[in-house]
Amino acid sequence: MTVSENDGTGASERTRSTGKVDLGRRTLLKASLSVGGVLMLGFTLPAKTASLLGAATPSPSEGEVAVTAWVRITADNQVTLIVSQAEIGQGISTTLPAILADELGADWSRVKLVTAPFSSTATAYRNPQRNWMFTGNSESVESFYELMRKTGAAAREMLTRAAAARWGVDADACRAEESVVIHPASGRRLTFGDVAGDAARLSPPEKPTLKAARDLKLIGKSLPKVDVPSKVDGSAVFGIDFRVPGMLVAAIRTPPTIGGTIKSFDDTAVRGAPGVRGVVPVLNGVAVIADTYWQARTALAAAHFDFDAGPNADLDTAALRAAYRKALEDGPWATPVNQGDAAAPLRGAVHVIRQDYENPFAAHATMEPMNCTALVTADRCEIWAPTQGQELAFVALKAVLGLRDDQITVNRTPYIGGGFGRRLLPDFVIQAALVSKAVGKPVKLIWDREEDMRHDWYRPATMLRLTASLGADGLPAALAARVVSPTILLPVFPPIATMLKEQGFDPSAMEGMMETPYDLPNRRVDFHLLTIPIPTSVMRTTGYGPNIFALESFIDELAHSVRMDPYRYRRRLLRKNPRALAVLDRAAALGGWGKPLPKGQGRGIAFADAFGTLLAQVIEVQVENRDVRVKHITSVVDCGRVLDPGIATNNIEGGAIFGLAYCKAEVTFKGGRAEQENLNRYELPYLAETPQFRTEFIAGAEQLGGVGEVSPVTVPPALANAIFTATGERIRSMPISRHGLRFA
Amino acid sequence: MELNVNGKTLPVEVDPNTPLLWVLREQLALTGTKFGCGVAACGACTVHVNGVAVRSCSYPVSFAAGKRITTIEGLSSDRSHPLQRAWIVEQVPQCGYCQSGMLMSAAALLAVHPHPTDAQVDAAITNICRCGTYPRVRRAIHRAARGG
Repeated sequence: MTVSENDGTGASERTRSTGKVDLGRRTLLKASLSVGGVLMLGFTLPAKTASLLGAATPSPSEGEVAVTAWVRITADNQVTLIVSQAEIGQGISTTLPAILADELGADWSRVKLVTAPFSSTATAYRNPQRNWMFTGNSESVESFYELMRKTGAAAREMLTRAAAARWGVDADACRAEESVVIHPASGRRLTFGDVAGDAARLSPPEKPTLKAARDLKLIGKSLPKVDVPSKVDGSAVFGIDFRVPGMLVAAIRTPPTIGGTIKSFDDTAVRGAPGVRGVVPVLNGVAVIADTYWQARTALAAAHFDFDAGPNADLDTAALRAAYRKALEDGPWATPVNQGDAAAPLRGAVHVIRQDYENPFAAHATMEPMNCTALVTADRCEIWAPTQGQELAFVALKAVLGLRDDQITVNRTPYIGGGFGRRLLPDFVIQAALVSKAVGKPVKLIWDREEDMRHDWYRPATMLRLTASLGADGLPAALAARVVSPTILLPVFPPIATMLKEQGFDPSAMEGMMETPYDLPNRRVDFHLLTIPIPTSVMRTTGYGPNIFALESFIDELAHSVRMDPYRYRRRLLRKNPRALAVLDRAAALGGWGKPLPKGQGRGIAFADAFGTLLAQVIEVQVENRDVRVKHITSVVDCGRVLDPGIATNNIEGGAIFGLAYCKAEVTFKGGRAEQENLNRYELPYLAETPQFRTEFIAGAEQLGGVGEVSPVTVPPALANAIFTATGERIRSMPISRHGLRFA
Repeated sequence: MELNVNGKTLPVEVDPNTPLLWVLREQLALTGTKFGCGVAACGACTVHVNGVAVRSCSYPVSFAAGKRITTIEGLSSDRSHPLQRAWIVEQVPQCGYCQSGMLMSAAALLAVHPHPTDAQVDAAITNICRCGTYPRVRRAIHRAARGG
């Protein structure tokens, strides 16, 4: 693949005149390596790209015509597209609108993008497969791809028919490109803006004709991301930056222990403090409202709280581990998987291997702390938040405020400082709404980092016991697993409560265990739904991460127990899965598997089928005096079609670093509260610890797999496997600091 | 007091103990500089004071009186700073929240080491990026150092 670079002038001129972006072959999605072994992607950047601006109004603004719910056009041909999904760094605000624009035939360099609201009149932006508006679970592309193409095509056909009608020609004789409708035979042109009004009066076609693959210009290319420019000059408005006229700012304190309450609160020092406009009890906490955040926070710090630690005052990590251990030994169990006969081979087997694995509690630790701006009056609630869960927030607001559907609007700020699943939850939205209601003014509520880390909905700790009996060929004849985990789905998807109660397992916490890409015909999985007082919910990788840490570590242990190479062992287990073999083989080759390494260095491999994507990863480490230096991470990914190689690569490589964070930091509890209250205690990876990356994509099939959270899945087991190879030491829990190791 | 921010002298009326971060964000409405931790652990609040990188969440505004303060908004008026151009070519940001601080740290580094080694980059760029943009940060710094 040729590498072409933006020279700042000429390239962009060429691009503008042809309307094409030169990116080399589309079908071969291999990225080439530069001399330094660093990934190079070839793309020429046009000078201008679509830009991600603000939040959309529920209806078109003055002078705008809506051609379908997603496309708004002005008379002077400004095309604005609605972005349904939350941009949390995964690039979705580029990819989905680009698909729509590609079908539509809009001039992508001039398109404006605004984020979709959720209200009773704005429900068109729901995930069409779930009929629910949210961003998560790595399914945005898969869920919206068809809809974006159909919507773009529908709007194109409406605009084309409107122009054709004006000219008295056949619509089929016209073409839409670069926001213009053309009738080539006569050379006549009308802009989208010229015919938008007419187009909007037509009924959208039920089955619009999609473009042939060869006519698509944007899909499949590494596009310049629409949010990058404003993220390099400070102009991007995140939730924490948001302002509305007349707004006040609030700081909040809630009891630091889980389940704690406020016994008393002395606000004498607070009320007279500079800039303070109000002090408001909110649910289990107290908010101070002031002209600025610093004034609110300073005043709040001057307040005297007498907290009751509550029922979990003695809760600590040791007690939690004991509860998990007891459940791991005694159950009781739901048995969501019972294939073949897992028990028989175990009974008669000569070679049985059993190991226990543990995953720690983890904090989302988004760089932007939780915040929300709310305006609540007697008959209206409008909020603006960096949220992944607009519809859940809507439902929660309705319940708490007792307003009607048509009285509530949930806006999403276009820029969000990380999500990872935390922002699916409506807790901070409810708080902001209640504060605004109490003071009768718009209020922006900001959590400080301590509040954010104390009141996370953590990725829960899990414990697993894996048992396998090996046949004469060294492969597992049967595999039995016990999984102990609290719920992760319930807080973000309340309707799951019935299933949790009746079936006793959380489907998200069972991910990676329900099915396996390996040839394991005799397989049983028992699940214990643990009840703990700590709030737990989904976090990037959901159930796949913790389960596959155990499974992929265990597969390695099985291989080593019969002195088989872990890569070759997996080849045997994947022999019936050609797509998986292709991924595994390429990762081994690209990762240098089998090449000799000096003492103290090692490679580990891990494989996952997660979020509709196949991924194999090879990690190479050097371990010296308990210092672990991660040297290389090689990832080979089959996510089906790659819609944007640049964005996909970002997700895989950035995701791998997120996976390293799972190996570096954990949340522990003492006295009923999290011990890590800020980023100096919950230490995340630094640039200095970053390895070199090699990343390739194989388009093994047509379907679309997710890339947003698959890479962090394989990092912990591949790392543990690499550490074993380098040192002979097997670690069965993270972070590595539990074993006296540290990242260097 | 008066503050010299991005080349302009601006009057502010604020408690002198207020961290520079919050004066920039609230009194001066320069929200490009971000709040991430409040304890100087993450670097999202990085600005320059007399050309030196400072974590403004832990820097009282009174210390900044009489000094040249530069924020992300002051790197250029049109994204033309070599680091901004490099950041765009390399498509560095993901969620973007840490990037203002990251760019300011990188700018301070290049002012002292115009052609930094990887070791110098490692030592100078301790900003936390949750999304893991580090490989592209490194590439972009080297690209800017090469002149684009």
